[in-house]
Amino acid sequence: MILEALADFLTLSELGSVFVEGLAKSALYVMIASGLTLIFGLMGVLNFAHGSLTMVGAYLGGLVMVLTVTQATGTVGRLALFFVAIVAVFGALTLLGGAIETQVIRPLYDRPPIYQILLTFGLTLVIDEIVRIVLGIYGMQPLSDWNAALATKPQFLRQPAALGPIDVRWLAVFEILLGLLTVALIWGFLTRTRYGLYIRAGSEDAEMASALGIDVRRVFTVVFALGVGLAGAAGTLLMWDVSWGASVPLAAETLLPAFIVVIVGGLGTFRGTVAASLVVGMTDSVMTWWFQNYVTFTGLPELVLFLVLVVTLIVRPQGLFGVEGVGGH
Amino acid sequence: MYHFLVNSAVSYEATMLLPTVETMTSVLYFGLFAMSFDFISGYTGYLSFGHAAFYGTGAYTVILIANGAVPLFGSGTPFMASLLVAGLLAVVLAVLVGLVSFRLSGVYFAMITLGFAQVVYVFVRGWDYVATNPRDGPSVGSAHSAGFEIGVPGVDQLNLAIGILTGDEVSLLGQTLGSTAVSYYMVGLVVLVCYFAMQRILHSPFGQVMLAIRENEERAVAIGYDTYRYKLAAFAISGFFAGVAGGLFAGFRRSASPENAFYFLTTGDALLASIIGGFGTLAGPLFGRLFDETIREFLSTSGQGGGLLPYLRALLGEETLGTPVVGDMTFGGLIDTLLNGHAALYVGLVFVLFVLYVPDGLLGTIRQRAGGKLAVVSANAFGDPSPDPPSDDAGGDEQ
Repeated sequence: MILEALADFLTLSELGSVFVEGLAKSALYVMIASGLTLIFGLMGVLNFAHGSLTMVGAYLGGLVMVLTVTQATGTVGRLALFFVAIVAVFGALTLLGGAIETQVIRPLYDRPPIYQILLTFGLTLVIDEIVRIVLGIYGMQPLSDWNAALATKPQFLRQPAALGPIDVRWLAVFEILLGLLTVALIWGFLTRTRYGLYIRAGSEDAEMASALGIDVRRVFTVVFALGVGLAGAAGTLLMWDVSWGASVPLAAETLLPAFIVVIVGGLGTFRGTVAASLVVGMTDSVMTWWFQNYVTFTGLPELVLFLVLVVTLIVRPQGLFGVEGVGGH
Repeated sequence: MYHFLVNSAVSYEATMLLPTVETMTSVLYFGLFAMSFDFISGYTGYLSFGHAAFYGTGAYTVILIANGAVPLFGSGTPFMASLLVAGLLAVVLAVLVGLVSFRLSGVYFAMITLGFAQVVYVFVRGWDYVATNPRDGPSVGSAHSAGFEIGVPGVDQLNLAIGILTGDEVSLLGQTLGSTAVSYYMVGLVVLVCYFAMQRILHSPFGQVMLAIRENEERAVAIGYDTYRYKLAAFAISGFFAGVAGGLFAGFRRSASPENAFYFLTTGDALLASIIGGFGTLAGPLFGRLFDETIREFLSTSGQGGGLLPYLRALLGEETLGTPVVGDMTFGGLIDTLLNGHAALYVGLVFVLFVLYVPDGLLGTIRQRAGGKLAVVSANAFGDPSPDPPSDDAGGDEQ
């Protein structure tokens, strides 16, 4: 039975589609996790509110899309307005992130790092409930996926695509391209801009960086704001994927994979995050395939992802690309 | 006291503010869970983000034993014995998790424990051995219709059944205690014993090593303590009490679900209680949970506990409530939306404020203000010999 399944799995079409789906998942994971890793890398703050902010981004993005994208008829117009939505949400959440950092996180830097975890954990509760209340006021069910935003998806993204013998979805291709774009943008930001330099310097040695005249406080604010903005943008990207959509539990659904990705990659290294997204995305895709075809255990993909986390921490606690000692608090 | 207030002139206000006995029972068993969480996280400084795994193990074990699904233990096993088994199973799990987790520290420790707990959570949610519908979790079947008994196993006179509808009623000095009140006292008895046990451990040399690990682990190693073993032992002890707390929870509620027993947000609730009550004060989490539950109850729509909403409704009258505020929404609708079932928002806000401004929590702050006197008094009361009371050290030996 297992041999038969394995033979089935190893055919070109199955393997190919699992691979492409894995890449698509990796792309989503890298988008969800990169904000988290930027923040941790520089500031050592493990932002528990990341998932909730992604969820806020999903709802905001959905709102902008429902308001604007439905106006456009053509595919090109819809795609263009989709990017407008991403930029708008990114901007809005960057402001929110800046406000959070300056108002509530700043007083905590001179306390043990445990308090930053606690604070951001408290923020998730507050954010989730505020979203629930707002949804309640507008009469949207707090749990159901928001289908109006899903409906703004252009027609061609609903269709399957054929790449040679491999069946894939156009949406998967679209997600992979977006993921590549995100990675390229963040990479460019980190290596080509002044703030990127500050971030890299600060994550190596924040004390030395401030001694060299970098205003670390301001860099912290900017990085936290950008990280939150990235969370929001990632949320917007999830809106066209049926398996995600906008709902309040999305906060936990995105937070836990994001944790897995940043820890497997090595807390605070962007390179590691990209590599770990590939590992986690592929694992997820392979396990989903096995679950759909041969194994009846419902939680299989989720279970294996957490096992990946546990095994990584046992075998290589600093993660794939992590440096021992950095972020060890 | 409760009856006095409820029957007094301010009865309406009192029912609004005071939690019901049923809530108080959940304060007790969840408080015990929060205490066990604080025992490891507050005293050794290792944030165990997967503590719900032990709580859930306890809860599930008790129910499965009652249903006769556990080998070696028939469905007739006394509750106290199954509670013990639940605690011991949690210890086994804690040792297994701790063996690998304590090679890490800080964020990594929090994450690996979270990872283990989520593995267990996902596994239990899909394992059809625990219940016919594992997603909903198991409940005590009809084969075991009587309430679970707390007391001395084997001596019928010293056993009282607990449970919301299934427990015993007791007549004492002309007062009749309902089944819920009996459950409250009996659960409270177990919690009290567990509290004293943990208190005793913390005041022993072993507890001092735990504090040394929290304050400066490298120095503790340098003095010659094998901190790995100490941490592991503390984790196992903490796991035991978490398992017992889970068992009490299942015994009282007669059902458990993956969400309210194993999910990481259950640990989060214990964390809330510990921070609000005072991180690193053993009794603190109980008060923290009381505070939490009081807010939740206060903001609930109905129930005998009253709560703010029915009170406001009665106070404001139809006309005020009917005034439109936002769009189609009336004022009544608005307070309904803002208050009904959104206690988590206010608990969250209180939590954030505590983290920012009251880092020692309720009990910790009181102890600091009292200049450590409270700590010394309680230490004496528990028979802990303290030849020279630490007068300069705020918080004393209870930190």
